[in-house]
Amino acid sequence: MLSIISLSLFGILNLFLGFLKSRRVLLPATLLFIALAFAANLLDWNHQYVYFRDMLRTNNLFINFSSIILLTTFLTVAISRSFGTDEEHTHPAEYYAIMLFSVVGALMMVGFENLIMLFIGLEILSVSLYVLTGSDKRSLRSNEAALKYFLMGSFATGIFLFGIALVYGATGSFNLSAIGSYVSGGPTTGISPLLYVGLLFILAGMLFKVSAAPFHFWTPDVYDGAPTLFTAFMSTVVKTAGFAALYRLLTVSFTGVYGLWWQVLTGVTVLTLLVGNITAVYQSSVKRMLAYSSVSHAGYLLIAVAAKTPQSPSAILFYSLAYSIATITGFAVLILVAEQKPIEGRPDERYEAFNGLAKRNPLLAFSLAVSMVSLAGIPLTAGFWGKFFVFSTAVDRGMTNMGMVLVVAVLMSVVGVYYYFRVIIASYLKTGDSEPIGIRPLYRFILVLTTALTIGLGLFPDVVRQLF
Amino acid sequence: MLTLGSAVVVLLSRNVLYSAYSLLLTFVGIAALYVLAGADFLAVTQLMVYVGGVLVLLVFGVMLTHRGDAQKSVAQRATEPNVVRTNHGRTLAGVLVAGGMFALLFTVIQKADFTRNEATFYDPITRVSTVPDVGIHLMTDYALPFEVVGVLLLAALIGAAYLSSIRN
Repeated sequence: MLSIISLSLFGILNLFLGFLKSRRVLLPATLLFIALAFAANLLDWNHQYVYFRDMLRTNNLFINFSSIILLTTFLTVAISRSFGTDEEHTHPAEYYAIMLFSVVGALMMVGFENLIMLFIGLEILSVSLYVLTGSDKRSLRSNEAALKYFLMGSFATGIFLFGIALVYGATGSFNLSAIGSYVSGGPTTGISPLLYVGLLFILAGMLFKVSAAPFHFWTPDVYDGAPTLFTAFMSTVVKTAGFAALYRLLTVSFTGVYGLWWQVLTGVTVLTLLVGNITAVYQSSVKRMLAYSSVSHAGYLLIAVAAKTPQSPSAILFYSLAYSIATITGFAVLILVAEQKPIEGRPDERYEAFNGLAKRNPLLAFSLAVSMVSLAGIPLTAGFWGKFFVFSTAVDRGMTNMGMVLVVAVLMSVVGVYYYFRVIIASYLKTGDSEPIGIRPLYRFILVLTTALTIGLGLFPDVVRQLF
Repeated sequence: MLTLGSAVVVLLSRNVLYSAYSLLLTFVGIAALYVLAGADFLAVTQLMVYVGGVLVLLVFGVMLTHRGDAQKSVAQRATEPNVVRTNHGRTLAGVLVAGGMFALLFTVIQKADFTRNEATFYDPITRVSTVPDVGIHLMTDYALPFEVVGVLLLAALIGAAYLSSIRN
């Protein structure tokens, strides 16, 4: 709770800092703000609080999820360097403030206890992201992406809200536990059919936000059009917050109708895995490939939600952490490499841009390789353990229910290896320019940190898993 | 009937301005339905937000969208009627989706059997104003969402100001 309040205030403070002549102060100030919120967040460890008549609940699960969100935001802000001191046309104060606000929304999605809070949190996050997507005002693709995201996103929000209204109509409450006791307790007259349709609409809205398969059509265009930095932000923070919210909603409120929603979710999971992975193979742009790969990772995360075992939350946590860190590394390297040789005024994001990267800058090539290996789920990296924990929840649930999903998931991770390794092969085995790429110290530090975290979590997953 | 009829006109009219005017009728009709259902606060909000705000915006949008011929001079263009047409493509897909949605909701509402639910869950509706209740709940039970909407509006405002500033 303290972190939510402090982040809102820091966002406003950030806007005022924008009045200062010197823009150098903004980046360190924002980093400091996020670190302070992170610390404030940890203060509540091992305590359970419920705030404002059951609006928000903070417990260890909330702290874990929000720590991941704050950590990824910290890393994203730290690699934000393209709108630095030199360019006149940028407004870093506004970007940073909107990012901080969107984190407020994400934290509310993690800790909600009332459907109204979930809705408002989702809206804060989405509205901020519509703006960030269109923040490159001179680029036509960025504008197109923002408009597309806005139109489809508002439609999804409408459906989501309709679902909440129907659930309220059936249960007479917005409160998660009240809905839960209605669903599992079973009223004497039987569960109202309004509840089923409402649950279906809520699921559709949430799955749109995390870009699962039948609702993923916006993802490639939006991720491709948005400035790369905000693509990294979108594909990590939104996914973590969305899955935290989805899991919480489904387990607290709708455990009683598990028989209904696990079938829907497994269907969506299989579709997501197939579509995400197979389409990613055909992409010629690394950024678009990463967009489809984020669709496919939504599929893996959905397995853990659909399995709903006691291990599910920790599996989701570990997977989000591994995925976020690796994705941010990938996008950070992409930003640097792509802007070396612009084609027709925009960064070169094709696979060919990575040719010979190992000779141009060994550190970049190495951290890229580690992040891709982690995303592909090869042992000795964090991604392997993420996939392992997720699959083991499915095994716990039983092969009769989840067997088909598991087979598809394992096959699709093999497909994933193909397209992730294309980047590594381009950077190590092919020859390209030999002109070295320079990196700033902070950027270098972040890359080393994320790479070390990926390998460290791969070698000693228990260090973090004990906390979850 | 009035609501439904004007909604059909919204769909079928090819001139956006006619659609906008019949949308006005639809919104007023919905507000009247809210009053009949005993939700007076909702009806007033519907009038203020949709009829008062959204529709005026829509009409302004039509006015400012001048789709004249670029070859003609400004004076010539100014005398032409400003008509914005809409396209009707993919009618079949639209009818299928909307019809499917309608069928789903219709069957659910039929099955839901509201008379039974109302008898068990809610007090019978008595015709009193709901405005005081809404106000009290907004300041007590729902104080936090009420405050947090401020953050949402602030973010939207900054975004709108940023995206529409001409300086760049």
